[in-house]
Amino acid sequence: MDLQLCAQKLEGLCTAATLAKKLGINERTAINYAWKLRKAGYLKTAYGGSKVRIYRVSPFRKKIVGYSFYELLNKYSKIKLAVREDYIIHAEREPSVEEILARAAVHDSFRVVLASLSLFNKIYDWARLKKFADVYASGRKIGALYDVARTFMRVRRMDERTRRGLRHGKKGYIIEGVKSKHFQDIEKEWGVFIPFNKADLARYKE
Amino acid sequence: MINFQEQLEFFKLIGGELKERVVCFVIGGSAMMFYGAKDETKDVDMVFLEEDGLNMMKQALSKMGFDEKKSVVKIFRRYEKARNTPVMMVRGEERFDLFLREIITMKMSETIIDRAKETHEFGNLLIKVVAPEDIFLLKSATEREKDKTDALSLIQKFKLDWRVIIEESLHQTKLGQHLFPVYLFDFLYELKEDLKAEIPANVLGEIRKISEDLLEKRIGRSFCQEQRFLSTPNSAGILAFKKKVRKKTEGKAKRGKKRKR
Repeated sequence: MDLQLCAQKLEGLCTAATLAKKLGINERTAINYAWKLRKAGYLKTAYGGSKVRIYRVSPFRKKIVGYSFYELLNKYSKIKLAVREDYIIHAEREPSVEEILARAAVHDSFRVVLASLSLFNKIYDWARLKKFADVYASGRKIGALYDVARTFMRVRRMDERTRRGLRHGKKGYIIEGVKSKHFQDIEKEWGVFIPFNKADLARYKE
Repeated sequence: MINFQEQLEFFKLIGGELKERVVCFVIGGSAMMFYGAKDETKDVDMVFLEEDGLNMMKQALSKMGFDEKKSVVKIFRRYEKARNTPVMMVRGEERFDLFLREIITMKMSETIIDRAKETHEFGNLLIKVVAPEDIFLLKSATEREKDKTDALSLIQKFKLDWRVIIEESLHQTKLGQHLFPVYLFDFLYELKEDLKAEIPANVLGEIRKISEDLLEKRIGRSFCQEQRFLSTPNSAGILAFKKKVRKKTEGKAKRGKKRKR
């Protein structure tokens, strides 16, 4: 079968089972087709809940340019996000974990901020985090999110110098108009409103 | 002609030149290149929501050796009537068309802004790619033969959501573009007749109905104004229903005279 035609037929999101159903072949052959389509650039694989493979098929061979913010966030975070709006960063080098965290803190999306909490575990260079916090003006937000992350998971210790440095940022909301009931002490300390309650963080305990 | 790689290089250079963050939308051929539906484009069309952004972009392009072209090439229908013509920055064969909020016959509505699901960041330049449905609608506003083939390839390559297209054309009427569905119907009819595009009959029927209603409504309000529109026909289909509208209005006028007698 012509791969372009095949991709047109399968456009959208599929699993191995739906792929087989649409093409009228068995599941084993469908997986072989998925491999061929991926090699030709028509298909991308993602993992859904309980590690089910989800194939995103497009009839265009989209040239891969830049670095997708969501892909990088998913790469480092325990909570995987479905990409609804792609945000591509065109840069010389791949953005570091520190940069992704600093960007996530000012993203104004609940899902992104929640997923970014587990990025604190991947940070080794606190000075670099401070640098990016200054670039994106997200110092206080990062500091507050770090304290929230520490309340429910093991996180590497932030050095005192970085902690002091993060206090110079802007005060206000992380997500406009959303406050927390359970982290008011942290909110007071950093002058930033946390958009989560304890129940929202249960996702990390699963 | 500018290919995808060159376009990216341009954006990177512009992003480096800009001192503040500028947000803009790409439309037309350059948007199609981002989707992988086209290999090269004649010009890069960008829409800005703020005048400051447009001015900063103009300055950045001037620094890169682009000059502003004063005379405007007639691409769009009703170009002469339009208040908002693009700023054209030209360097050799490369051209950037910069629009402010309006693209001649179409306004950048919130719905178009919401539908843009892809954002590219080039330093200080933030580029949002409009949805395929909106690219199609913008193509319907032009008169170039190449835009018709582009629109045809959009229909063939994308699963266009016709509902979105119809709703946006209606939304444009609320924003002041009163005859947008009429032009859209005209364009779709031409595509179907001349290029054998696969446009569902019910979609065509619905837009035709909307256009007829709109025309009748407008004629009822200011007959003289619409006479100008009726004298610039574009296709057999639209001519036929314009005749129908004319008959109706003439009938109304006769009946009015009889009553007076």
